[in-house]
Amino acid sequence: MALWTRRGLAGATAALGLSALPHRPARAQGKSITVTALGGIWEEAVRTCFAQPYEKATGNRAQVLIGSPTQWLAQIEANPARPPIDALVTIPDLAIAAVQKGLVERFTVEKTPNLVHTPEEFIAPLDGHGVLFDYGVAGFTFHKGRVKQPPKSFAEFVERTAKGEWQASLPGIGYAVTPIMLIWAMAKALGGGVDNVDPFFEAVRKMGRNVSFWNSPNDFENALASGDADIGIYFDGRTWAWSDSGASFAGFLNPSEGGSINAIAIQKPKNASEEAWPYLDIMLSAEAQLAFAKKLNYGVTNRLVVYPPGLAERITPWQQAAFPPYAEIAAKRAAWVDRWNREIRR
Amino acid sequence: MRRLLPLAPALLFLAGFFVLPMLDIVGRSITAADGSLTLARYALLFGDAFYLRAMAETLALSAGVTLLCVLAGYPVAYYLVRHAGRWRGVILFTLVAPLLTSIIMRTFGWQVLFARRGPVNLLLEGLGLVEAPIRFTGSLGIAIAALVHVLLPFMVLSITPVLQSIDRRLEEAAAILGAGRFRAFLEVTLPLSWEGILTGCILVFMVANGSFVTLLLLGGGLQTLPLLIYQQFNTTRDFGMVSAMSTVLLLLALACLALQLRLVRKGG
Repeated sequence: MALWTRRGLAGATAALGLSALPHRPARAQGKSITVTALGGIWEEAVRTCFAQPYEKATGNRAQVLIGSPTQWLAQIEANPARPPIDALVTIPDLAIAAVQKGLVERFTVEKTPNLVHTPEEFIAPLDGHGVLFDYGVAGFTFHKGRVKQPPKSFAEFVERTAKGEWQASLPGIGYAVTPIMLIWAMAKALGGGVDNVDPFFEAVRKMGRNVSFWNSPNDFENALASGDADIGIYFDGRTWAWSDSGASFAGFLNPSEGGSINAIAIQKPKNASEEAWPYLDIMLSAEAQLAFAKKLNYGVTNRLVVYPPGLAERITPWQQAAFPPYAEIAAKRAAWVDRWNREIRR
Repeated sequence: MRRLLPLAPALLFLAGFFVLPMLDIVGRSITAADGSLTLARYALLFGDAFYLRAMAETLALSAGVTLLCVLAGYPVAYYLVRHAGRWRGVILFTLVAPLLTSIIMRTFGWQVLFARRGPVNLLLEGLGLVEAPIRFTGSLGIAIAALVHVLLPFMVLSITPVLQSIDRRLEEAAAILGAGRFRAFLEVTLPLSWEGILTGCILVFMVANGSFVTLLLLGGGLQTLPLLIYQQFNTTRDFGMVSAMSTVLLLLALACLALQLRLVRKGG
């Protein structure tokens, strides 16, 4: 008990403080920023392709936060004066919401010099308050053993599904980007568009019980692997990554009308650390984006990127895909979800 | 007051991490975009046939799952107490073991087992019982079966201690007075185990009421409140409506608790 006298305690505290002293200058040199990543291979890619080069270049530390774009936006909305996130990856709909709420800053060439290598198509949707830095295309992912002749277009897909040639699995309304990758994309391919999604609802009615819905990517892969589905609408990058991990039966095809581009945006919240700009610039650089594309099999938006053989055949050029009017879709989203709930009820 | 002091940490924790967030949710549900007070979301919830149906489906599903859990769980609990003997530990472990796995993994397991080309369909086809694969996944039956599988342990573990505490001499007395085994069970054992059944029912009902992973992954064709809450949060981000639906779910849970208290007091 004598050990725990006030003097003893003070001595121990002082000793601990002294032992920490040599580390202090090192901590003070570098600043820390918080960046975000989706789970799984995404996290690994963010760490190696973006965070490590940033730390090497600046001496700062990039802490990677795993989660979902919905959660991150809610966190920023809850504390806009001191946002807990400095560099954000998000889906276009939420990026637009962040712009509309005045939560994010405008990108400039002064702050992110690599912006000049990004085509205007990937800057304009967010009015410069963020950039679409990578994209996947939602097309037909199918089991090569069970679907020998995959459909070439959305129209053919609907016709043959309705005839019962296969069991199809489509993204369900619980999945955040379904309004883009399915409702809008199919409506547009079948003669409708953002102001007329009747062709999509008509197509689902026509396909009837030959179609089921998935609400998470794993859900779809599980359905295709277990034989519950033979074909579905899914992303090119995820299909190739799945195929490389052992699911060699999985094939992918971009519909002739063009599958929808499902991009990922990067943004900097207002009042977040200025140290995030170099990180965001690295995310826009050709070198980092190529490394990212190699890991994820997704297309990237820096026009200087040249994909190596093997990867080039897998990535759908964005010019061959359908570019969604993100802002217009965001405005219709609630109405489409409501209609889905009342008409499809699955 | 001094007697309540030991409870202070728990009460503070509940106030900070449960009561305040709940009040915030209620506040959001009655706040319009311009900051004014509104009951429009509740008017929509209780005035639109679609949402009324969603509430009815939520309650019907929870009630159905609870009933099935009672029917399946009571015999298991009875067997455990009266007949299991040295196998009791093994049976209990088997019953609780599924809870050691993530609910997502368990649900994926159901998907694999009952897939169109899964083991169950292959077996049925192999035995010549069906000509074409049965579409189990996406059906209400498989969703209910998966929910019962998850919630059955709660029912059994609620009934078992109550059955254990019943004095066997009461049943013997009934037998001496001429009652058969079934009548003795019906008029003595069952009424005395009422409290355990009730506790199990409330537990299962409330968990089923808020469950959504199973329904999200296995389908079932139902649109319950938890599914709509997830959908509104994830797809439309209408936090006001999410909050209103969450408040209604919370009220349903509170009503269940009130009912339990009332029935327990009545029984006591």
